[in-house]
Amino acid sequence: MTTGSHEPRDDGAAGIDRRDALKLVGGSAIAVALAGCAELLEDEDDAIEDADVPDEPIEAGLQTFLEGAPAVLGVQAEMGAETAVRRINDNGGVAGREIELDVIEEGEEALENYQQFVDDGKDVTFGPISSGNHEAMVPEINAQGVINVATDGTVTTLYEEDHPPEDNTYSFRFQNHDVMEALAAAVEAVEVLGVDEIDTYAGINPGYAFGFDEHEVFSAGIEQLTGAEEVYDGFPDLGADDMSTHIEAVNSEEPDVLFSSCWGGDATLLLEQGHGAGMFDNIELMVGPVLYGSANDLSEGLVDGPIRSGSRNFYWDEPTTDRWSPAADLFEEVVDEYDAVPTAHFMSGYGAVTAWATAAEKAVRLLGRWPEQDELAELLVGHGFHTPAGYHTMADDHQCYSNAHFGELAWSDDLDAAVLENVTVYAPEEVSPPQGKPSLEWIGGW
Amino acid sequence: MSRLSPLEERDGETVVRVPLTNGLTLTKGQTALTLVGILVLFGLPFLAGIVGLSWGRLFRGLLFGMAAVGLNLLLRHTELVSFGHAAFFGGGAYAVAVLAAHLDVSEGLLLLLAAVIVGTLLAAFIGYFVAGYVDIYFALLTLAFNAVIFATVFRSGFFNYNDGLAVRVGGDNPTLFGLGWTDLGYDLVLYYTTIVLMLVMLLLMWRLVHSPFGRALDAIGQDRTRARFIGIPVERYVWISFTISGLYGAFAGGVYALQRLHVQPEPTLYVFVSGEILFMAILGGFTTLVGPLIGGVLLVYLLEATRFSFYYYHAPIGIILLAIVFFMPKGIMGSLPDILAGLSRRASDPGLLGDDLQTIGSSIRRSLSRATTTVRILVFGVR
Repeated sequence: MTTGSHEPRDDGAAGIDRRDALKLVGGSAIAVALAGCAELLEDEDDAIEDADVPDEPIEAGLQTFLEGAPAVLGVQAEMGAETAVRRINDNGGVAGREIELDVIEEGEEALENYQQFVDDGKDVTFGPISSGNHEAMVPEINAQGVINVATDGTVTTLYEEDHPPEDNTYSFRFQNHDVMEALAAAVEAVEVLGVDEIDTYAGINPGYAFGFDEHEVFSAGIEQLTGAEEVYDGFPDLGADDMSTHIEAVNSEEPDVLFSSCWGGDATLLLEQGHGAGMFDNIELMVGPVLYGSANDLSEGLVDGPIRSGSRNFYWDEPTTDRWSPAADLFEEVVDEYDAVPTAHFMSGYGAVTAWATAAEKAVRLLGRWPEQDELAELLVGHGFHTPAGYHTMADDHQCYSNAHFGELAWSDDLDAAVLENVTVYAPEEVSPPQGKPSLEWIGGW
Repeated sequence: MSRLSPLEERDGETVVRVPLTNGLTLTKGQTALTLVGILVLFGLPFLAGIVGLSWGRLFRGLLFGMAAVGLNLLLRHTELVSFGHAAFFGGGAYAVAVLAAHLDVSEGLLLLLAAVIVGTLLAAFIGYFVAGYVDIYFALLTLAFNAVIFATVFRSGFFNYNDGLAVRVGGDNPTLFGLGWTDLGYDLVLYYTTIVLMLVMLLLMWRLVHSPFGRALDAIGQDRTRARFIGIPVERYVWISFTISGLYGAFAGGVYALQRLHVQPEPTLYVFVSGEILFMAILGGFTTLVGPLIGGVLLVYLLEATRFSFYYYHAPIGIILLAIVFFMPKGIMGSLPDILAGLSRRASDPGLLGDDLQTIGSSIRRSLSRATTTVRILVFGVR
C-alpha cells in the first residue's frame, strides 16, 4: 500500500497565545517548550526567577541499549532523551538549571549502572529498556532514594504485584505497559474484522519474558472478546535467523488473526519470510504491537498486506502533522538531527525526561526552592504533562498512562519510509485496568 | 628455630609454615604479600571509596574470581578447558532465588548452603558424563550442558523467564545469622562472612593441589594413558575434581545472588559468562592459586566500569586484554615474579634499559617490514 500524504507541515500554533499555552500545559516555561510550543514563550517567569535554586547543572544519567539487536529500540530512546534535554537547555533549563545527560550502554548490568550513577552523584536517572533489568532495579532505586524514570521496562506485573505504591517511592515508568499494547491489538483486530469474523488466532512471539507476557494478554483479550480458538503459538528465539517453521505452521492453520510482538530484526525477518512464503494470503489480519518500532528498517515490499501495527503512546503523525504543529516540529527536528523517523521508543526517552523535568519545575514553583528527592517523588505521583504525543498522567501506581496507537502499516513515497495509516487511538481506560486491579482479572470481567 | 616457631630453614632459605596445611610453606616475600592481600580484603569496604573504586563491583569481581579459582582446578591440573562453568555459578544463584521466591526461605546462610548443594550436585551430574572426554570434546560437552540449562531457565515461567527472580521475601533482604540488618549492615555482614569462607576455601584448594590427589590430577593432565598405567583412576579423579570445581562456582553464585538480590539468566548462566570465567583464570594467571581471583576482579571491573568513561567501551577493554595476553602470557600473577626480577635487574644495571629500547625498536621495524610486504603482495600480487 502506497500513500503520499505524510509530508509534515510547518504550521504555527495559530490561534493560541502564550497565556493559553501556559494554562494548557501546566504553567511552566519548559513544560511549554517540551510540549512543542516554545515559540509562545516571551515573558519572564517570576515564580521561578525568585526561587532558591542551586547554580550547578542537573546531573542526569540515561541507560539504554546502544549496541546489538536491542539498539533498534535503545538508540531511539537515546535520541528522545537527548532531544528533550536539548529543548530544556535551549529554553533556560529546569528552573534555570541546565541538564547534563550521560548516556551509557544498559547491557545486562542495569542495576550496577544505576548504583554507579548514584555514586557519581546523579540527581536523576532514566532507563532502562529491558523489563528484567527494570525489575532488578526497583528495590535498589527505593533503597538509594534517587528517582528513576524508566523509559520502557514494560512488564505489567512490576507495579501491579511486585512493587505496589506502598512499597515504591522513587521508581516511575513513562511508557505504556505491555497490557495496553497487547489489548489494543486484540481490540484493533475486532474493530477491523468484526467479532463474527474471528474464529481462530495464532501467535508468533519472541521467546523471552516480553513475548510470553504479550501472548498471554492478547490471548486473554481476543478470547474474551470473540471466543476465538488458538490454533498455534510459536516462540522463536530473540534474534532468530529463521522463522520458516512458525510461518509454515501459520500457513497450515490459516488463522483469522496472527498476533506477533516481534520487534527489531525479528519483526523484519518475520515480514520478509512471511511474504516469501505467502503467509499474508493465508490470514485475514496480522496485528503487531511493536512492528513499527522497526520503521527505519522496513522496505516498501514488507509493509504490503493486511498488517496493523501498534506504536505505543506515540505515533508522530497522530494527530496529523498538518493539524498539530508540535508533532510536525518534532518530526523535522528528529529527521534533521538524526536522519531517522521517530518511533514510540523515541517518545520513551523524550517523555521520561519530560515527566521529571516538568515535575521538578512545578516543585520549584510550589516550594520556592529546589525540591528534595522525596518531595519530587511525591509530586510526580498524579503529575500530568504534555509532549507532542499528547497528554500523559503519572498515576498512583507510578505508571504513566497515555493513549495507545494502532494503524495500518503502509509506505510513504514522500518520506521513503514506513508509516501508519488510519490510526486508531485508544484511551488508557479502554485498554488498561483501573488502579489496583490485576490485568488478567480485569480482562476476565469483560 | 624452635618447634613452635612458624619459621624454618629449607634449601638455605627461611620459609614460613602455614597452619592447617600439613607442612606447606611460603617464602617471606609470599607471606608478606599474602598478609597484605588479606588486610586489603578485610579493609576493602573502607579502602575502596578512598581510592575511588566501587566496593560492590570489587565484591562481584571476587565472586566471579572465586568461580575461576574452581575452574582453574581443571584448567591448571587436569588441563581440561571447561566452557560450561557458568552452569554452576548460575545454578547456585538460582538455587538461592528459587528458595527465596517460591518457598519464602529468608535465612541467607541457609540459602547459601542450598546454593552449594545444588551447584555441587549439578557439577557431579554433568561431571559424570564429561569426565571421560578430553580436548575439544570436553569443551563442547560442557558448553552444551551449560546451553541446555540456560535455555531451560530462560524459557521457563517457573524461573520467570529472563526477567529473573528476586531474592527478597516480602520485599525484605534475607536475614543473616538469623538477624535482620540495615542495608549497609547486610552488605557488610555478607561481605565479611564471604571473605572468611573464601579464605578457608582458598586454603583448602591450596592444600588440595599439593596433596597426593592434586599430584594425581597433574599426572592426568600431563598424560592420561600413563596416569592410568600407574594406577590412577582417571575418570573418577576427573569427576571428583570437576565436582569440587563446581562447588566453588556454586558458592560464588550463591553469594552473588545474596549480594545482587535479583537473579537473571543472562548475567549468571549464559555461555558467554562461562567464557568470561575461563578468561578470568587465564588473565589473572592460571598457573597460580590466586591469579584467577585477580583476573575476576579486573575483568568484572573493566566490563562494568569502562562504559562510564568510553562510548565504545569494548575497544579499551579489548586493548587492555590484548596487551596483557601479549606482554604477560602467564597472566598477571604468573608474570609478576618475572616482572619484579626484571625491574630489580634494571634497577641495579640501568644499561639494560637501552637494550630494551633496541629490542622494541627492532621489533617494530620487523613488524613494519612484514606489514609492508603483505600490503605489497595484496596490491601488486606475488612477483
